Amino acid sequence: VNIELQVIGSALRAVCEEMGAALIRSAFSANIKERRDCSTALFDEHGRMIAQAEHIPVHLGAMPDAVAAVAACDPGLHDTFVLNDPYAGGTHLPDVTLVSRTALGFAVTRAHHADVGGPEPGSMPASSRTLADEGVVISPTRLDATTLERLVAQMRNPDERRGDLRAQLAAQAVARRRIDELSDRYGPEGVRAAMDELYAYSERLVRAAIAKLPNGRFAAEDVLEAAAGALPIRAAVTVTGEEIEIDFTGTSSQHDGNLNCPLAVTRSACFFVVRCLAGPDLPASGGAFAPVSVRAPEGSLVNARPPAAVAAGNVETSSRIVDVVFAAFAQARPVPAQGQGTMNNLTLGNDRFTYYETIGGGQGACPDADGPSGVHVAMSNTLSTPAEALELGYPLRIERHELRLGSGGEGRFRGGDGVVRELRVLEPCRLSLLTERRARAPRGAEGGGPGAEGRNLVNGMEVPAKATLDLEAGDVVRIETPGGGGYGVTAE
Amino acid sequence: VRILGVDVGGTFTDAVLVEDGQVLTAKVPTAERQEESVLAAARAVGASGVERFTHGTTVATNALLERKGARTAFVATTGFEHLLHLRRQDRAHLYRLCAQHPEPLVPLERCVGVRERMGPDGVLVPLDLGSLPDVDAEAVAVCLLFSFRDPAHERAVAAEVRRRLPGAHVVASHELAPEFREYERASTTAVDAYLGPAVARYLGALSHACAREDLPVPFVMRSSGGVATLAAAAAHPALALLSGPAAGVVGAARAAALAGFDRAISFDMGGTSTDVCLIDGGEAERSGERVVGGFPVRLPTVDLHTVGAGGGSIARRDAGGALRVGPESAGARPGPACYGLGGAEPTVTDANLLLGRLPDRLAGGLELDREAAARALGDLDPADVVRVVDAEMLRALRVVSVERGRDPRDCVLVAFGGAGPLHACALAEELGIGTVLVPEAAGVLSALGLAAADERRDVVRTVLAPLTEAGELPAEGEADLRYRGQSFELSVPLGERLAERFHEAHEERYGYADGDREIELVAIRTADVRPGPEIRLVAAPALQVSGPAVVELDGSTCWIAPGWVGVRDGTQGGGLLLTKGDERAPKP
Repeated sequence: VNIELQVIGSALRAVCEEMGAALIRSAFSANIKERRDCSTALFDEHGRMIAQAEHIPVHLGAMPDAVAAVAACDPGLHDTFVLNDPYAGGTHLPDVTLVSRTALGFAVTRAHHADVGGPEPGSMPASSRTLADEGVVISPTRLDATTLERLVAQMRNPDERRGDLRAQLAAQAVARRRIDELSDRYGPEGVRAAMDELYAYSERLVRAAIAKLPNGRFAAEDVLEAAAGALPIRAAVTVTGEEIEIDFTGTSSQHDGNLNCPLAVTRSACFFVVRCLAGPDLPASGGAFAPVSVRAPEGSLVNARPPAAVAAGNVETSSRIVDVVFAAFAQARPVPAQGQGTMNNLTLGNDRFTYYETIGGGQGACPDADGPSGVHVAMSNTLSTPAEALELGYPLRIERHELRLGSGGEGRFRGGDGVVRELRVLEPCRLSLLTERRARAPRGAEGGGPGAEGRNLVNGMEVPAKATLDLEAGDVVRIETPGGGGYGVTAE
Repeated sequence: VRILGVDVGGTFTDAVLVEDGQVLTAKVPTAERQEESVLAAARAVGASGVERFTHGTTVATNALLERKGARTAFVATTGFEHLLHLRRQDRAHLYRLCAQHPEPLVPLERCVGVRERMGPDGVLVPLDLGSLPDVDAEAVAVCLLFSFRDPAHERAVAAEVRRRLPGAHVVASHELAPEFREYERASTTAVDAYLGPAVARYLGALSHACAREDLPVPFVMRSSGGVATLAAAAAHPALALLSGPAAGVVGAARAAALAGFDRAISFDMGGTSTDVCLIDGGEAERSGERVVGGFPVRLPTVDLHTVGAGGGSIARRDAGGALRVGPESAGARPGPACYGLGGAEPTVTDANLLLGRLPDRLAGGLELDREAAARALGDLDPADVVRVVDAEMLRALRVVSVERGRDPRDCVLVAFGGAGPLHACALAEELGIGTVLVPEAAGVLSALGLAAADERRDVVRTVLAPLTEAGELPAEGEADLRYRGQSFELSVPLGERLAERFHEAHEERYGYADGDREIELVAIRTADVRPGPEIRLVAAPALQVSGPAVVELDGSTCWIAPGWVGVRDGTQGGGLLLTKGDERAPKP
């Protein structure tokens, strides 16, 4: 491998890291500045992902669709577009994506905003039935000062939204500057060649890893806990030589709630599993996913059509897709037991403030190790908000934040424990909960025990997995997150 | 005046004795008991009648990385006992799902709660000392919520623990790191408590040994680049985690200043790792937080960036065909293949030898085995090995310069450590740097940095109020400022036009400023500094040499690349100045 290409490759990865730092450090909402619910990436002129800062898995596998949607608008050099439409490059509405045309491709930032308008503060309603119930839908639009003001005016806390969008713009500016510098230093052809190599390198390594899996077709299914009843997700994984096809035929049709997801999110979840199994240490580029194709029936839960609501698809359905695809691969090679399988989405807000967080739980045990406790297990990796940061900025108080000891499944290797988190609201507001694994516990593997299912309580009274309700000042929301499954039979 | 500096490294312990500008140096192997190495090095350099003695130690770092600290307990606000185990909920590896963070320093059974609660505006639940369980521990870390705003509860709890456990090392978070974000503050406090007994024991033993040898009680280098009294260092060892590397940065800053440069990048490339740091205005860049051994430590430190690659790093091809160098290292034993001590793996040093950048015989007398080096490299091109390791170095150098908005072309590169001067010309060219300074004491610069270090005490005062209401501010020091609503601050030197200069810094860093937003003053950082001794070095013999050329130095070898010229004429503080072509030294 040409060494200069490796040098430029390192530089491109450094650009993504620098973009991420600029975004987080200049942001205003807790969800971005403390929880780091955001991602950055660089794409080449063909819309292939070349480098990414390793933040949130669900963002990254889904970004190519955003770039494709913007590329179709024929942006001029250094133009920046904004979008959040799940049916035109987005995932769910709070994830606002900026895409700029750079001298040698595209730069992308995606950040989960604490509110994007709509009837429910926080724009993560539990009971939305169409996309319009979830907030402002932004199809790819050139972002100038007027557009920015027009957009934030439709959202709660426009001042905070403006600050967060400017933080994203700061990251876009970093990319523009650095790509220009690299192009001056090595020539556009040199950088293009390095981009090609970053892509090809990951593809080579993943192909080699897939080749080591047994050929065959492996099928599995699991369900989501929709309010109206269980929704099955079915996947068949076919390994042929160096390639993998994942087919969701047989999965439930899109439903009247918001567990639907666009195909980009489904793909992202599939890529995540392949990455875990075939190349956990690879430098991230789209090449890692080139040997993987994903098929899903149009109009199904995992390839929804407008105007289906999607708020929970990106966070909850994506988690279940990971479980199902892992379960299919389990017939080809050992895989971890199931983790908490939910992000435990909690949104609080009124006209004055909106706050969103997701809460970690137990990771399923692996064939050779215990599962970690109190972490996000699949498509998220956001941080917790420190109680001190939260209470300085919002009318909220954390009463308790601790491990849910004993909630991990038994086994030769133990599942990780979930978490208990209690928030007291200090003024009247709305609560939205989007959670899973409240009725069906994460399963153990190879004889390991299940993790404990999660629980949601308000003032000590249990509330459903998906709920939107009014809270009074002083009310306490308690979330007990699921434990992970154990692996193997406990030794006597 | 006789000044002694002793720096303990992983392989060697270096001593520098400075008297009237004359510098004597010595190197001894590092022994199991560090205090013995310190004395051995002091004897080897002929230290007697020493008036000031400064020490850089790895005892704190080693105790943390090897998990040989005290049996520690942790006291938190009830409901937050598991803080050290919950961390910030991010996993250790994005795609290796069962990768674990390092085991917390305090096991769950010694994490306890006390009933009380402070909020942002004061007491929410009064302190109930009776609810504090007894703990069995040698060290105790106390971290209660919002103690950075009001330490009353935390202070009372710490006093109670000290009363119940008179022999224990008790640290309260507000004494050490009074800043918001409870996990990071708790982690810092736990590290400090955990290291307390071991470091105090070591420093006690050292102090006794020094008394026997008629040496003064040493000052100890802190991560911040300033030295503290031995007693102060023993009280809060987390402040000395970067003791050794910080000394190197101080040495580089001094060497640069003596040569007339106040902007530099310190490049310390050793056998297994490399430390780089930006120096501006003659001072090392500082940072408020660093992760050590997987634990956040929120304390002032020189803002150096470490890469796990150095002269002993091993080169190999990975499954994708890419050439990788490090982090595995041949260390001192067996060392690079060319040392002929049994090493068979190809290292960076072997590649440098094959490229003609090392002499056949090192200054210490070691014969280098060219054939063994060639065997070890096999079909690897030595030039490729050097380019790959240079790419790693380059990334580190960019992190501390370009990525922080500093133009490396305004800096000289100060190259030292065993391998630094071998790689400096190529790296300088890549960064557009026209001048490299190789200090005369390149092999023992950290020890020289110790001898020259200032006494320094950093003070952080959390304010967290609108800047307009902050009242009178000190004349010197730094203000941590942000727009109200942000969570990360920019440090701006105190002085006139503070608000305007913050807007400018924000514009420079993030591409925009917002004159309408309220600015929040988060903290004031000041430092009491007592300047270290002035050191004037007597110049080594004059030299002028054009590349390609190999120049042997004390404890190091310098490679002057083609197109570069090396000059030592006594005007550069005794160092060797390398310049590209006929470019002259930069604008200081």
